[in-house]
Amino acid sequence: MTDTEITPAPPERARPAGTGIDALRSLRRTRQRHRLGNLDWFEAAYRVYLLAGFGGGGVLWISSSIKDTAVSASTQADVLRHGPAVLGLVAALMFMAGIRGGAQGGPIALEAADVVHVMLAPVDRLRALLRPSVQRLRSAVFAGAVSGAVVGQLAGRRLPGSLAAWAAGGALYGATVAALWVGVALLAHTLRVPRWLATLLGLAVVGWQAAAIAWHVPAAANVVGSLGLWGWRQRPVDLVAVGLAVTAVAVGFALLRRISLDALARRSALVAQLRFAVTMQDLRTVILLRRQLNQEHPRQRPYVRVRSVGGRHGLTGSVWRRGWHGLLRFPLPRLVRIAALAAGMGVLQAAVIRGTTPAFIGTALLGFVMGLEVMEPLSQEVDQADRADALPVDRGELMARHLLAPAIALVPFAVVAGVAAVLTLGANSRAVVPAAILALPTLLGAAAGGVVSIVRDAPDPSSSSTQQAFMPPEMAGFTTTIRLVWPIVVSTLTTCTVLLPRQALRNGTSATAASIRGALGVLLVVALVGYWVKVRDRMHVKIRAFMAEGRAHSSSQRSSA
Amino acid sequence: MTAALSTRRLTKNYGDRPALEPLDLEVAAGQHVALVGHNGSGKTTLLRMAAGLLDPSGGEAQIMGHVAGSLGARRDLSWLSDSPTFYDDLSLWEHLEYVGCLHGVEHWQMRAEDLLQRLQLVTRRDDIPTTFSRGLRQKAAIALGMVRPFKVLLVDEPFVGLDANGKSTLLALLDEAAAGGATLLVATHELAFVERVGRLLALRDGALVYDGPPAEVDVHSLVLPA
Repeated sequence: MTDTEITPAPPERARPAGTGIDALRSLRRTRQRHRLGNLDWFEAAYRVYLLAGFGGGGVLWISSSIKDTAVSASTQADVLRHGPAVLGLVAALMFMAGIRGGAQGGPIALEAADVVHVMLAPVDRLRALLRPSVQRLRSAVFAGAVSGAVVGQLAGRRLPGSLAAWAAGGALYGATVAALWVGVALLAHTLRVPRWLATLLGLAVVGWQAAAIAWHVPAAANVVGSLGLWGWRQRPVDLVAVGLAVTAVAVGFALLRRISLDALARRSALVAQLRFAVTMQDLRTVILLRRQLNQEHPRQRPYVRVRSVGGRHGLTGSVWRRGWHGLLRFPLPRLVRIAALAAGMGVLQAAVIRGTTPAFIGTALLGFVMGLEVMEPLSQEVDQADRADALPVDRGELMARHLLAPAIALVPFAVVAGVAAVLTLGANSRAVVPAAILALPTLLGAAAGGVVSIVRDAPDPSSSSTQQAFMPPEMAGFTTTIRLVWPIVVSTLTTCTVLLPRQALRNGTSATAASIRGALGVLLVVALVGYWVKVRDRMHVKIRAFMAEGRAHSSSQRSSA
Repeated sequence: MTAALSTRRLTKNYGDRPALEPLDLEVAAGQHVALVGHNGSGKTTLLRMAAGLLDPSGGEAQIMGHVAGSLGARRDLSWLSDSPTFYDDLSLWEHLEYVGCLHGVEHWQMRAEDLLQRLQLVTRRDDIPTTFSRGLRQKAAIALGMVRPFKVLLVDEPFVGLDANGKSTLLALLDEAAAGGATLLVATHELAFVERVGRLLALRDGALVYDGPPAEVDVHSLVLPA
């Protein structure tokens, strides 16, 4: 071959199929060396220190600072009777997430370059995919075990058994559920389960488990849920759940050759963006990309067409109509997800009433996510900032009006939350009025945290990148933490009002009056957030002008001195 | 004789919208084929299904008698995408080494050196290709697609972003590959390229509307949407 001729090599020159796996191993080792070489070990150690200190220490401190009393003997009996079914529902939901995720191409994601260069090379795909699959399993099991341990030690503060045993039992349960999720997702993907069938199977398992909670019928996921009580009592038969999870993972791994390259190619680019968005704490982008990963698209046609009443609508009318056009295009899975979040909020608030105080933080987190979901029209406006800036209206006025339609859209979900709370409290008629009073304000308040998160990420017309660039690193870290945390603080402020009726019930005073006081407090926070959305830009401009004036005044004083 | 590329009732639907209607096609070994059509006509869909990167909604594609995406098909087929992807922590040379080794090429260095020289990438061999301009990325992708052995070359919009010199080099490389017995299927909007091939395929709204010699048809009329 001369230096001007490139001809395709005859096949004999290629080594037998499969030898390329050595090149893959070698490349992975080289890249790992590159990554480790580029790692700033001091910074990594500092991050671990921060995570352990603020994360682990924080959880233990918050857990120990809340002095909840031990549950009564009858409640203990209830926990033993219903606990496996309730914890089994979490496993059933994870089963549904896994089977649907697998049918949509999960759970593995490769780099886009790996899809083209490795997956299209004549190497054994099972061996090429084993490592990313194990990494996926490892991270899921770790996250599941940590979450399980955190919840377990919380339970251990009110139930018989040592904290360590509850943490270990929780970790075992969390790890098993996570492994089950990965295994089921791999099976659904490699067996090419159609999406409709995956949804149907998932709903069947969740429905069965819900029936087990409501009517105490035996259900398959009870055996998984029973593992969650190992901090208290251990039943060897529960290890069947671990065996099932391990089997699902093993069979999933064995079928890796059947994985769809189509799904890998589609997910690779999205997952890279998703990781970047997570790194940047850009929750809006995370949610958008999750929807794309799940192939969740708005409906082509709205459920109901918002009819024009003719003529001009003005700013409020136009934004109101635009809001409903978007909301009425939410696909069914998204509506179901929002309803599930609302139901979860109701259950957790009822748990607070029953004595598990930290549950209101869980309510706040669910409400925060719900806010990000339901405030889609506002998010779209923030995402398309250039469009909003081109309009001859004040941006704050525009964004504030975007809150109206989603706030009304929350009403049916408030009903779901209220019903879930009342049912969790044993369909107690005394719970109906407080639930009716607090449901909508609580949802609005918790969603207000989502609003803060969305609007916070909107471009600030008065700030410049120069100002941010000159911010000292220590200050930048602090500011980033505050930016990340304060939307959740807003949500938490509003969900903790459930403590008022609880206290009233304990004191024997009127729970209705306490609920009204709580609802008014929440609505005040909601109104403040709405006002902040409206005047945020103007406030920033004023503050910056004030600071610039101060700087100019100081410099003129210095020059005259 | 086994066809280099064959499809049987190959179909792709996105929801209710058909991207490729059932397609029966045979491309004989050594043929030099151009694939034309308007934007959204189904060219890339067809090529990606043949490469095994996209699951068909129905039917099947085969490369040299192997099911698309199978080990045998991957050994025989080289795929040049219109949107090349690279690792962001490997230099161009390391990419060439990696792809060459994955495909079991013994003397990949000679081929790589030659390709870099012809594509005028020698001075960029130690740079990371993700930092390249559009045209240089395209050239790097061409080098990666040709450093390895292949019997069938599928190319999607290869001329996008290339300068005049890059275009002529690519044309020369394609001619040499064809002269070496490789089968080429090139999707392109460059109608001038069509004159160089022996067979023209035209897609319109997912349906094959022409299959024959390019000299016997007004190519401009084929690339108009319905």
